Amino acid sequence: MPSEPPTSGGLDANPSQAAGAAGAPFRGRLHPLTLVFAALDSLKSFLVPIIAVGIFGRGDGAMHPLFWVFLALPVYSAVVRYLTFRYRLDQGELITKHGIIARHERHIPLARVQDIRIEQGVLHRLFGVVEAQVETGAGKGPEASLSVLSRAEAERLRQAVFESLPAGAGATPAATRGGEPMAAAEIIRTIGLRELVLEGLTSNRMASVLVLFAVGLGFVDDLVPRERYEQWLREGGEMVARLSARYGESLWIPLGLLAVAGVLVSVGISVVGSIVLFHRFTLARRGEDLQRRYGLLRQRSSNLPRRRIQLLKVEEGLLRRWLRLATIRVDTASGASDEEERKSGRDVLLPIVRRDELPALLPQLLPGLEGDAAPWRQVSRRAIRRGFLKGSIALVFLAGGLFAVEALLRAPRWFDIWPLFLLPAVYWLNVISYRHLGYASGRFYFQTRRGWLGRAWHILPLRNAQTVEIRETPFDRRHGVVTLHLDTAGQSHTGGAPGIANLPRAEALALARSLARTAGATRYCWR
Amino acid sequence: MPGAEPSELSATIEAPDQTLTPTIEAGAEEFQSLDPRVVRLWRLHQLIFAAVFGGVLLIPLFMLGVRSGRWLWPLVGWLVIMGLLGIRVCWHPRRAYRAWGYRLDEKVLEIRQGIWFRSLTLLPLSRLQHVDLDAGPIERGLGLASLVFHTAGTQNAIIVLPGLEASRARQLRDHLVAVGGDDAV
Repeated sequence: MPSEPPTSGGLDANPSQAAGAAGAPFRGRLHPLTLVFAALDSLKSFLVPIIAVGIFGRGDGAMHPLFWVFLALPVYSAVVRYLTFRYRLDQGELITKHGIIARHERHIPLARVQDIRIEQGVLHRLFGVVEAQVETGAGKGPEASLSVLSRAEAERLRQAVFESLPAGAGATPAATRGGEPMAAAEIIRTIGLRELVLEGLTSNRMASVLVLFAVGLGFVDDLVPRERYEQWLREGGEMVARLSARYGESLWIPLGLLAVAGVLVSVGISVVGSIVLFHRFTLARRGEDLQRRYGLLRQRSSNLPRRRIQLLKVEEGLLRRWLRLATIRVDTASGASDEEERKSGRDVLLPIVRRDELPALLPQLLPGLEGDAAPWRQVSRRAIRRGFLKGSIALVFLAGGLFAVEALLRAPRWFDIWPLFLLPAVYWLNVISYRHLGYASGRFYFQTRRGWLGRAWHILPLRNAQTVEIRETPFDRRHGVVTLHLDTAGQSHTGGAPGIANLPRAEALALARSLARTAGATRYCWR
Repeated sequence: MPGAEPSELSATIEAPDQTLTPTIEAGAEEFQSLDPRVVRLWRLHQLIFAAVFGGVLLIPLFMLGVRSGRWLWPLVGWLVIMGLLGIRVCWHPRRAYRAWGYRLDEKVLEIRQGIWFRSLTLLPLSRLQHVDLDAGPIERGLGLASLVFHTAGTQNAIIVLPGLEASRARQLRDHLVAVGGDDAV
């Protein structure tokens, strides 16, 4: 078993340094380098006034007195922060204190601590210090930000917090109980450079649009009547000719080059972005904790206890599905869904993975999944008919509208109702969607899969299911079907489990009651 | 320890109850109705709404009548709207009362509701975060109260059960908190 994921002098503090922390009361303060980093941080916010004073100063060589004031303020706040900031673990709480005049004291119950995230920028790495952020289930942003600590101290804190948790509520990881040394980390998956390039390529919107466009062009020939198709080509040609006449033939070469360059640059940016963000990505498991480390410039690491996975989603976008790749996302009860989460890569558990690895990989994330095989079940076949009807109504309206417009502008022709020719395609799409829509209800996990071009597969641990709901519209009633919803906490990264429509009513009711009972028989725990 | 969890779970899970009747309506006799006085409460709410809405609607109607000099059609329109509101006052509360129902066993609280758009919500009691007891002035006058259930969920995080007899609501709340609230979350 590999003991430690290889990282280049990064976040891999030796766990043995944390041994012995369990007994003595845990207390500490920030690293002396806080002085430098805090000053640099607050200097940023004073940058504009400092420059302004510097430029519009007296000009006789001596600095304006205000300049020194602005320069002193950040230093002062850094010194105050360093000198007054204290933290300790006491009676199941993490307590932080800081401030001279206004004193701030915060008590965070350890049982509510979801994660201690550790981040290390380039400068931090040079000096071997990190920023640690304590996350709880309470809304947005970290509950406490310990910046900066030495690498070893941060690791010591992380272990002290997670080891001192009461060994009773819910499923307590056996590996962390009673001050025993933590089990060695076992690497689940690393992501190499080649895969990161693929990740960047397939996450690029522009590339996806190009591929879709190319595929679409292949179909245009078959779907649109030849006459109309040729008319479009002719009109397009005329427009090109008109523009050429006005601006000259040489217009097209730079325009074409610009378009190609635009696509290349955007693809390049997303590839580079993916490498910088996820460089040396390692997903490891130590006891119950899933640990992630990644980053080229700014290195990030975070822990996720497996039981805190509210919902897991295997996402296959169109491009990735064609390349047999997938992305794994999970929800926790605490996650905020914002741009910052996406930029820091926290919205994905595993950015890219081959689809054929999933059967071996998923049970490591969701214990007991491999033994929980339930047959996939489909919904009522009426789903096809109802979906087709919905699509048809939309197409009829579209065709009617187009025909009316043509009738107003010029003489309408029979092929102006071309949207109606898409009806077979709509039917086919509904059949495809129907085939890929399904659910599987096991003893511990409820799974759904759906999608036609892109696919999604949701796995919901029933111990974290909240409520079950059955909805029935008047149209549903006519078909004897209902929609089943399972509610979970969080939902910021997966968007929640999809509702399963068109379930026969009796089946849905029995299923809902069985799900609610299974969920009700387990305890829900925040951590 | 991946092996430890499932066994721990399976010890507490029971086989799903097969005796339950498998349709929303067929099990109607198993569901408890709300307190019948809730019909009066809803009627009163609708009546107040209709009075306020009808009064506000009279203003543009009056202006329209003065502007155009025609009174018949605006008046007919107003009467139609008031007629629709009248249906909501007379017919809807009684029908909604029949649609509402709840059922409680030792593990799950089930709440059904809705006339056209029906729903059945199943709330496992161990998922209860907290329970609110709400009673507005009219509700208090009628001796009624509503229970509001909170879960850690997202779309269904708040579930309301209106129209309970006040003492019954208190008793139900105490029971649910005792059963579901031992999670120390």
